[in-house]
Amino acid sequence: MEIKVNHHSYQLEVEPQETLLEVLKNKLKINSLHQGCQEGECGACTVLLNGQPVCSCLILSPQADGGEVLTLEGLNRGGELHPLLEAFMENYAIQCGYCTPGMVMTAYYLINHLNNFSEESIRKGIEGNLCRCTGYVQILQAIKAAKKEKDSGRWW
Amino acid sequence: MISKERRILSGKGRFIDDLELPNMAHCVFIGSPYAHARIKTIDVSKALKKSGILAVLTGEDLVKRTEPLPMLSDFSGRPGWHWRAPRIYPLAVEKVRFHGEPVAAIIAETPTLALEAADLIEVEYDPLPPVLDAEEAMKKGAPLVYEEWGDNIQLHTLFNFGDVEKVFQEADRILQVSWRENRTSGFPLEPRGCLAMYEPMTETLNTWGSYQCPFRAQHYISHVLRLPQTNVRVVASDIGGGFGNKINIWKYTVVCLAAILIGRPVKWHESTREFILTGPHQRDVRWESEVAIKNDGRILGIKARFIQDLGVEISNRDYAAPSIVAACSCVPNAYRLQGLRVEAYGIVTNKSFYGAYRGFGKDKGAKFMERIMDLMSRECKLDPAELRLKNFIQPHEFPYRQISGLVYDSGNYPVIMQEALRLAEVDTWRKKQKELRQKGQYIGIGMAFVVEPAGIAAPNARFSGLVQARVRITPDGLAEVYSDRTEIGQGAERTNTLVISHILGVKPEDVIIKPVTSDTIGMGPISSRGAVYSVSALARAAKAVKSIIIKYASAFFKDDPGNIRLEDGAIYSVKNPENRLNFKELADRFYFRPGPRGLPQEMQMNHEILLDVSTSWYSPNNAQNPTTTYTTFAASADIAVLEVDIETGVTKILKYVHVHDAGKMISRDTVDGQIYGGIVQGIGEALSEELIYNERGELSTDSYADFVIPTAVDAPDIIIKHFETPSPYTELGTKGMGESPIIGSKAVIISAIEEALSPFHVRVSEAPATRERVRQWIQNGPAR
Repeated sequence: MEIKVNHHSYQLEVEPQETLLEVLKNKLKINSLHQGCQEGECGACTVLLNGQPVCSCLILSPQADGGEVLTLEGLNRGGELHPLLEAFMENYAIQCGYCTPGMVMTAYYLINHLNNFSEESIRKGIEGNLCRCTGYVQILQAIKAAKKEKDSGRWW
Repeated sequence: MISKERRILSGKGRFIDDLELPNMAHCVFIGSPYAHARIKTIDVSKALKKSGILAVLTGEDLVKRTEPLPMLSDFSGRPGWHWRAPRIYPLAVEKVRFHGEPVAAIIAETPTLALEAADLIEVEYDPLPPVLDAEEAMKKGAPLVYEEWGDNIQLHTLFNFGDVEKVFQEADRILQVSWRENRTSGFPLEPRGCLAMYEPMTETLNTWGSYQCPFRAQHYISHVLRLPQTNVRVVASDIGGGFGNKINIWKYTVVCLAAILIGRPVKWHESTREFILTGPHQRDVRWESEVAIKNDGRILGIKARFIQDLGVEISNRDYAAPSIVAACSCVPNAYRLQGLRVEAYGIVTNKSFYGAYRGFGKDKGAKFMERIMDLMSRECKLDPAELRLKNFIQPHEFPYRQISGLVYDSGNYPVIMQEALRLAEVDTWRKKQKELRQKGQYIGIGMAFVVEPAGIAAPNARFSGLVQARVRITPDGLAEVYSDRTEIGQGAERTNTLVISHILGVKPEDVIIKPVTSDTIGMGPISSRGAVYSVSALARAAKAVKSIIIKYASAFFKDDPGNIRLEDGAIYSVKNPENRLNFKELADRFYFRPGPRGLPQEMQMNHEILLDVSTSWYSPNNAQNPTTTYTTFAASADIAVLEVDIETGVTKILKYVHVHDAGKMISRDTVDGQIYGGIVQGIGEALSEELIYNERGELSTDSYADFVIPTAVDAPDIIIKHFETPSPYTELGTKGMGESPIIGSKAVIISAIEEALSPFHVRVSEAPATRERVRQWIQNGPAR
């Protein structure tokens, strides 16, 4: 398959039954990604595929052929944390950190695409990403803070 | 040091899913399709012939090569206690006793190959009728989980505190209270897992993984595998959530054995379904009681029957047997109670084992008492807040010896309650409630008050009060910290860093929190113990290092020790600020120029020649009061306003207030995080999460699709207010606080639903209050 991951292109030999999660984690060693429930319920393995948030455990490799994937690693620039990720750190939006790599990808999509940025719509937007530690409060604060960063022009 | 948060946000987490070693094999467990069955034969020969399969282990192999799982709590011989412990192995021997119980472990080149081989393992079962309800299991003729016991009672005892008979004679009336909590557990997003590797050169078994308590894990693994403890080393990786669910490591021992047998590293990372099916289960308790009260709203005493449905057992896979003691001794909660008698049963059934989960047992007593308070308020026609205020232990009574023997350290309960009432604007909501009822809208105002005993040190269990902490200034001037307190998401790393940085006057980035290993003695983060034991021990170690530094600096600067300050990474004299060393210079002198003319004579004579202190801390509360199994007692009040849609049974939270006193806080943001997370977990428990077994004993809620944990849409906005009444017993005045939010939130949601449905005379005597149950309660009309 041909796939672009975090701005780099790869040509890979894969089995058709391999999931996108397995390809990214096992073949390309994308460390941030984690196996969650493997049934699309928890959202821990969320990545952006062609700009859309998806559970990478539900996507078979042929479905991602020719596609473009973005993960947490692709947000950071060299040693610099992406403003969204900085907001997660500053707002204590991480406890155990297992849901974080998926959660931030959904948040990144929402900040870039959500027209009505109300509390309710953010909550609805991250409904597919479960977090068992934080009660979501500090995550919401982080997403709102990150949106302000974007509005002030500090964003990529 | 780069913080854990920054590490994870840079994609450099080290969870079990991220761990790899060259030549690593994979372990997959195969579970029983039956809840209860005799194993007639297991044939693994076909699986072993498949290419890529390295080994298959069954119960028989474990009988030959390992010890049975050790008894982690032992009440045998304790007067008045009926107690039994089973002889069991992590892979079933002769019989399976719950749906999913592992019967074989397949070790293969890849997880996929192992799963393919699962179909080749032939197990012949002889199914037996399962017993799935504790009260059914207590009846004569019920199927026996362990035939050799003759019944299904693992534990039976009587707790008798104060003078119950006397207070029942003094009562104006007797109230009947029933309360039942169904089965649930934590199930953090990362299931269990480990990587094990045997090193023949040093004869050491190394294992890394989601180990909540490495020191205890070392003891457990070495016992099961018959290895000297010195030849087992356990290291906690990044842990994707704990909540008590990763204290149990019975399955990990099989992975460790496999690594020794095949001479290669072996990794196991279970699926979410496997975690829910074979993980630690909790709650599942029922109370039947009589409560002696006065007409003025004073509670005098309680007589109760308490049944805990253990599932398959409570003592060998996990450390949960003392939870029954906690449940009963925590009934008095925040109130002056004069008599309490509880007849307690722990009953085995064909479900997964009973283990630790946030709340452990103390939650059960407190939630039961809060049910009583609500029902008393209806019975006596007194405001529920007024009733609680009337029965509270008063601020001048601390330290307060509760009738159950617990000694409460400090607190001011009336202030917490009053503040919660004010913040929740209860009076305004009461008015609104009346208006809305006219329109057919049903809102309820619930309240709950919780005292959270923290830092268990129990007799009869491997829960001692031992802890070790070590602080070392490295030769290049950084502060290295060794603690038993694994980072499970509770902020151990951040708060440990803040404590050390504050005492030693070094920058947080110059504090290095080392990964927790079995080399450091300590029980690990259980029972909200971190801010009690681990932090106290660390503070003592840091203070000892500081005192050595001050002695040295005072001699080096030829200045009075009282003038020496440690601040911003420097050691200096306030009198002569030019007398200044940074930590790097200090360490350099200490390590490499300590010679005859280096350190002052007094330090040489006292052997104080290392900037490396290992120390301990023992609870003064435990030392002075042997009856108290806990050291600190945080307190909190929850008030929730919610609306129940009586057509659909759906609940919507309109307002949520939590007022909290956990003594001195190390980091407010960390405490807030624990509160928010605990509250939402408790809301899940109150409304939707439930482990349901069907009539064949199959767990029908073994995924997040059916075991419904709250999403961001279900979670409310939460208003928090803090008070800080220091604990007189801990080194820094801190208290454990990880559990009161989950206890109070479950209680308050139940309280509010009952209040909302008061026009229908509904009594909520079971949780979770799922929408189906709520509709049923409304249809069934007045409670008995």
